[in-house]
Amino acid sequence: MKLIIHDLDKIEFERLLPDLPDSCRVVSNDGTIKNCIGCFGCWVKTPGACVIRDHYGDMGEWLAKSDEVIIISKCYYGGYSPFVKNVLDRSISYIHPYFETRNNEMHHKKRYNHTFETSVWFYGDDITDDEKATANKLVIANSINMISSIKGIQFVKSVEEIDGGIL
Amino acid sequence: MKPIKVSLISGSPKPLSSSSGTLLDELKPMLSSRFHVNIHSLNKPSVPEESMESILDSDILIFSFPLYVDGIPSHLLSCLYEMEIYLKRHARPDLTVYAIVNCGFFEGHQALPAIELVKNWCYKVGVSWGQGLGVGGGGMIQSLSGVPDGQGPKKNFSIALNELANHINTCSEGENIFVSPNFPRIGYKIGAEMGWRYQIKNNGLNKKDIGRRLV
Repeated sequence: MKLIIHDLDKIEFERLLPDLPDSCRVVSNDGTIKNCIGCFGCWVKTPGACVIRDHYGDMGEWLAKSDEVIIISKCYYGGYSPFVKNVLDRSISYIHPYFETRNNEMHHKKRYNHTFETSVWFYGDDITDDEKATANKLVIANSINMISSIKGIQFVKSVEEIDGGIL
Repeated sequence: MKPIKVSLISGSPKPLSSSSGTLLDELKPMLSSRFHVNIHSLNKPSVPEESMESILDSDILIFSFPLYVDGIPSHLLSCLYEMEIYLKRHARPDLTVYAIVNCGFFEGHQALPAIELVKNWCYKVGVSWGQGLGVGGGGMIQSLSGVPDGQGPKKNFSIALNELANHINTCSEGENIFVSPNFPRIGYKIGAEMGWRYQIKNNGLNKKDIGRRLV
């Protein structure tokens, strides 16, 4: 499965990907997402699932079913938009709370015997070089901590520039 | 002489008893007596109307927040965006911003992307960047609040906090600082994992449930 996490409005998204295969799951902003409250319930109350049961509570399970994660986000200060970041904050049930040391740093262990590739598209007409540098560091850190590999990190000025071959 | 207004802002989603708040509690006594200090909690994805003017009327902002997925917690990111909108109408070029980021990992340097995000925000909104402090071992911060400054596991942290406070007190820019506890990493790992097992049993589950797979 391909998992697409994006912050585009419905019209923009349908223009970008008009013929979406059934093998894709799309995580869009329906205006109802709640923010992570730092309770760690996804590790110690309902392991593997977020305790907040809105439309975004099963991100860990969806990541575990995905071969590729495609993120399309407006670039905010060298990172994701608040909605996309919210989805990622709500995704930590994908990993295990226990720690292990990798490359002499502490990271969380895998919950699933699984990995996925990540492609990130940052869009915005005024993304600075410093922001691009930060965004690269952020995506690399995410890939280490979510135990995934990076397929690509792209910066474009507008959504229209996003390659039609995104899938 | 006009008082220097300082806002200490906890960016934890927890309004009370957060590690971010504890770090600000540790910093506050080190700040200059010339400062007029206000304390704010941004624990929701919007800045309360009454807080926006008070926060952005300050001369110095000090954000303290937990590292979430290598970055800024989304609710605080939303607040920063609201502040960006506000600052477009009310420019504050004389405002200086500092950031303290606590991470659950042992190594404070894992907070670097989050600190850079705040620095980039400063450039975007036209305020000055001061300094960032990345604090590792966030899981033990609250349990160490009773330990005297500069002692035992707090040694590195106290030195770093003093350095940050010196820059804040002179409103000057400094290199980012990253600290890990003066405590064996393996000890921190064992302690954290014991804590997870304790919590999962308290929730009526078995310790094996901690690795539950839904797929």
